[in-house]
Amino acid sequence: MTVQGIVLLVLFVAVLVVFGFIVRMLIRTLKLGKPEDRSGNIGQRINSVLVYVAAQARVLSQPAGLGHFLIFWGFIFITLGTIEHIVGMIVPGVSYTAVFGPVVAGVISWFQDILAFLVLLAIIVSLFRRFVLKPVRLKIDDPGARQEALFILTLISALVLLMFGIKGAGILMGKVDPAYAPVSSFVAGLLQGRGLDLHMFENVLAWTHHLIVFFFLLYVPYSKHIHILGAIPNIYLRNLGPAGTLSRMDFEDESAEKFGNSEIRDFTWKQLLDLYACTECGRCQAACPAYLTEKPLSPFNMIHRMRAHLMDERGKLLKGQDGEKGETGAEGVEGTPIIPETMTTDEIWACTTCGACMQECPPFIEHVQKIVDLRRYLVMTESNFPQEMQAVFRNMEVNYNPWSIGFSTRADWAEGMDVPIASEKKEFDVLFWTGCAGSFDARGQSVMKAVVELFGKADVDFAILGVEEMCCGETARRMGNEYLAQTLIDGNIDVLKKYSFKKIVTACPHCFNTFKVEYPQFGFEAEVMHHSEFLLDLLEEGRLKAGKIESTRGTYHDSCYLGRYNDILDQPRSILNQVSGVEITEMGRSGKRSFCCGAGGGRMWMEEDIGRRINEERVSETTKLGVDTIFAACPYCITMFEDGLKAGEIENVRVRDIAEVLLESID
Amino acid sequence: MKIIVLLKRVPDTEAKILINQDGNGIREDGVKFIINTYDEYGIEEGLRLKEKVGGDSKVTAVCAGPEESTEVIRTALAMGVDDAVHICDPALAKPSPFTIAEVLAKAISEEGFDIIFCGKQGIDDDMAQTQSILAEKLDIPQVNNATVFELADDLSKAVLNRRIEGGDEKVEASLPVIISCEKGLNDPRYASLPGIMKAKKKEIRVKNLADLGFNEAPSSGRSRVLKWLPMPKGGECKMVEAEETVDAVKELARLLREEAKVV
Repeated sequence: MTVQGIVLLVLFVAVLVVFGFIVRMLIRTLKLGKPEDRSGNIGQRINSVLVYVAAQARVLSQPAGLGHFLIFWGFIFITLGTIEHIVGMIVPGVSYTAVFGPVVAGVISWFQDILAFLVLLAIIVSLFRRFVLKPVRLKIDDPGARQEALFILTLISALVLLMFGIKGAGILMGKVDPAYAPVSSFVAGLLQGRGLDLHMFENVLAWTHHLIVFFFLLYVPYSKHIHILGAIPNIYLRNLGPAGTLSRMDFEDESAEKFGNSEIRDFTWKQLLDLYACTECGRCQAACPAYLTEKPLSPFNMIHRMRAHLMDERGKLLKGQDGEKGETGAEGVEGTPIIPETMTTDEIWACTTCGACMQECPPFIEHVQKIVDLRRYLVMTESNFPQEMQAVFRNMEVNYNPWSIGFSTRADWAEGMDVPIASEKKEFDVLFWTGCAGSFDARGQSVMKAVVELFGKADVDFAILGVEEMCCGETARRMGNEYLAQTLIDGNIDVLKKYSFKKIVTACPHCFNTFKVEYPQFGFEAEVMHHSEFLLDLLEEGRLKAGKIESTRGTYHDSCYLGRYNDILDQPRSILNQVSGVEITEMGRSGKRSFCCGAGGGRMWMEEDIGRRINEERVSETTKLGVDTIFAACPYCITMFEDGLKAGEIENVRVRDIAEVLLESID
Repeated sequence: MKIIVLLKRVPDTEAKILINQDGNGIREDGVKFIINTYDEYGIEEGLRLKEKVGGDSKVTAVCAGPEESTEVIRTALAMGVDDAVHICDPALAKPSPFTIAEVLAKAISEEGFDIIFCGKQGIDDDMAQTQSILAEKLDIPQVNNATVFELADDLSKAVLNRRIEGGDEKVEASLPVIISCEKGLNDPRYASLPGIMKAKKKEIRVKNLADLGFNEAPSSGRSRVLKWLPMPKGGECKMVEAEETVDAVKELARLLREEAKVV
């Protein structure tokens, strides 16, 4: 072993040891968080890694993702070469050719060459995007983040160029087979005949290259490139259940002084791992209705700042934890509140919980739960929330609906119609869950009447709960009032258990999602269908037959909790397609990439006084298509669009629920 | 400082009110009950005063009402009230303001007080009597319809604004004093969850008439409720519609003259 080899070995080992300590510290930092179970489903989890890491499925869902795909795979092959070269410098004579034979080594070398060249091209495109095109998704408040991105791209370019230099020199010295190194051969041609001391040249390049690699290894955990460490486990540990479920809180401990999350340790370890996983690609903010209408919230900024906050806090908190063995426990160290310095209340309340951020995120970060966790603290522990929300909470407590209307009038919409009440009928096939909007809002009521009429035409054996029905709890839950939500949920479950029915059908995606994916947390499971699914079944079974309406050019808006969260995309469209006279033009943002109407997450009940209005933004998207009707399948969306049309003084566009159209075609 | 807040259990503002068969009360089925909304301003002001004065200040809620009043008392305790006295006796089933003021006066005297907050009126029967009769019984000054409340630094007197037609009247009153609260005085807080949890353990001292030293329900004064009558039915509304506004106005004028005979 040469002196140079020994020095490199010592350095290499030292870097690995330090890196090991850093990783240990990162893991200990995660353990500051609360427990969360993400075990099980190993097969499905490994599959996630294959699809979303190896094949980069989400990364590639946007064209710019190709650059990442190339850099990712390029670096895997470049790293293989780096390892070979370092080991070769330490133990002369060891190489892939020596170990695996010339063919395997050749294939590795060929991929290295080609991919590294493509990496260079990808970096040029990246720099062009970042500094010339500046797309919405790469905008970030922190100027340090942009400098860091530039720094990293420079380092990567340097490593690739150095590698070509090393391999080029290697070809000239006969160490590298030019047949498997097309790009390096070209570089070798450039180096040839320049009177270079090739050994010295290669050595200087190799040392520079390896020192950069060592630096990179130690720098990564402190930069956004921590995602190299965080993203893969985060994808492995991703939420495999429905995305629209919030965590269930336990209120057993009556002496608790705090509910919800105020500091970083209140989050679970998995939520902290999310912070390591962020690649700062900004796809979340480019899809965020709050960000795109000039609200202060950006999911990208939120994760970026929360990670910075975690990094700032961990020293203090870990020291406190070490003290556990001694006198002061971790409990003794006070965490810095996240609000107002890391996040402001305006940001927290701007979220519509539409889930577009989570839908886009390549490493599967779960933003919405974090926002709701922070809301929970503000609402339940501090009673700190926009003033208009207090009346909403009161209404839900006293009259079980967010409207300020007496609960005893809940079934008044059905007066004069043949609508059976569960308390009289006891046994029936379908429990038609009206929901608050359907019960109290005039526009919602007309949708319910249409659904009930369709039930009548198809001879559906159904009943409503009437005055026994309470708000499903969705709004309270997403506003952070988990306690109130659970009161409503428990109350509803008690009532539902009294009756015998086969399924719940509802015309509200919020109620639908809540019954389908959240009520099981509270011990209530039933088959739950959205009216678009149920009506389509009736059509397919021939119990209903769609007819004709006056020729209409419309577009269909996917409600977040129906499309994005529950994959119900085709059913409403199928119903519309069966009605002759209806022609559908899709919006640019549709399906799982639909753009929120602005009402979700309790935003329906809050003032929208920052930035532009989300509903108007969405309405202008529909009117650009030149349609005369916006079709929807959610009473909140309908209200938001009608308000948006009114605000824009657009009189020639109507908003209609799919049930209303279907009924009209049959009449 | 000993702060008393009075509270009354009343039907929710959105409840459908129906007179019972005997005509001496309302039908309670399908009716939700809440804290009298004006009393909430009193509770909030009491809590703010306690937070401001500090020391061993205490806020005690006093409520006279049926057994079910416990629920609204717990709500007040959840907001931050320290403890409560619940005067509950079958003989107080349908009390007059005189009777209620008499028992409240007794209970409040037993508790001791520096300042009493209450709503300007109950939103159920709208009598707005109790606080004034209570002031007389306790022989202390009363300020009604307060919209601003401040306490002098030496804690000897209160400076208030009270809402009068077209403006506010600034008033000064020496302590002890009873203040009835008007909308606008403050925004009552939403009980926090730790507050709700703690409220479950706070003390509610239930007292009947005998506990307060009464042999029978105190006199109901010289007026008496004879009967509760349903709201007289409003007239039918007729919408005048026409293609041109001018025609609609003509038709309206004709209806007013010929049918309603008012012009």
